[in-house]
Amino acid sequence: MIARKILMVLLICSSFIATSQCISNQTSTLTPPPPYSPGQVVTVNYTLGTFTQLNLNWIIAFQINLGAGWTNLQPVISPGNPGGSAGFWMWDLQNTFPSGLNWGPGWRFINTGTTNWGTGSTGPFTMRYNITVAPTCTPDNLSISMNVIGDCLTGGWNNGACCTDPILILYNGTVLPDSIGTSLINHF
Amino acid sequence: MNYKESKQALLALFILMLLMIVTTLSFGQTTINPDTVCANAIGEQYFVTNTPTSTYNWTVTGGGTLQTGQTTNSITVDWGGVMGLWINAVEVIESNAAGCPGAPILLDVFVLDLSGNAIGPFCPGDPTAGLAGTPIGGTWSGTGVAGNNFDPSVGIGTYMLTYTMAGCTTTINVVVNGGPVTGPIQHF
Repeated sequence: MIARKILMVLLICSSFIATSQCISNQTSTLTPPPPYSPGQVVTVNYTLGTFTQLNLNWIIAFQINLGAGWTNLQPVISPGNPGGSAGFWMWDLQNTFPSGLNWGPGWRFINTGTTNWGTGSTGPFTMRYNITVAPTCTPDNLSISMNVIGDCLTGGWNNGACCTDPILILYNGTVLPDSIGTSLINHF
Repeated sequence: MNYKESKQALLALFILMLLMIVTTLSFGQTTINPDTVCANAIGEQYFVTNTPTSTYNWTVTGGGTLQTGQTTNSITVDWGGVMGLWINAVEVIESNAAGCPGAPILLDVFVLDLSGNAIGPFCPGDPTAGLAGTPIGGTWSGTGVAGNNFDPSVGIGTYMLTYTMAGCTTTINVVVNGGPVTGPIQHF
């Protein structure tokens, strides 16, 4: 905790650009690859290579954003915490942080040392989850995106500007409804 | 052709017949639109290629009554006796496992009600009488029939004549009576 505050002072004195983004080296895979039909189960692998701790903003949560065409979100592999703070990544569907930020679903870090702080880890963070294409007759939205959230956005840390990283869009397609090819009517 | 050649020819014929059977079973025979049925026919079967996970909603109009098979790919229909061309008399809409409906598949049906003109009774020596079936275009058959005529010279009796068209039939009975048996002229 003390080290974090010392670093904070150093950062204030530095010429670090406050609008820099904190996340970099993001990769993702979808298995199987699109397009997707109703009932199909898709495995999403996502890795955040590096989280840069702007103003000692620590990473605290990953939010999964899914289009209306998805259902049955299931976590498979939680993010790691290499060199990070004491605590663990918890799978959660919804949480309201002290800042009032309504978050979820996804993983959020429970810092067992200092409540409402994220983890001091800079990554990499690799996670995996499964999602299912919901039954539908229409080309519903199947977008998949990820939000990476630092603890200055959640109210756990407020010394300096927060990261302004954009949402990462992993997929932006629609359901491919099953085609129904009825044959002609035959008469015996 | 020697024994070996005969054996090869028979094998080729067998394979050809097998292919014809497989082709027929695989692709079926598509009913030409409009379909033709006989008036008051019962248990006429209509079907489309089955998709096991689908359900089928059938609608029958034109004086027909759906008897069995609703929700399946095959139904039976009892037809009424009103002759005419009934547009879209048989309709099916397939829905897949997700409940999504496909495009309606339609079949027009011509209900064919045959009739024949009443002729006779005849006496021996009467001239040939014309046979008239409705609608025209069918064929007459039976004892004493030649083309579209009946010849009473066929002899004394009651004859059932059949008028056939498009697989439908109707019958009429024709009577040929015997003439009086007059004795020889006597001279008192």
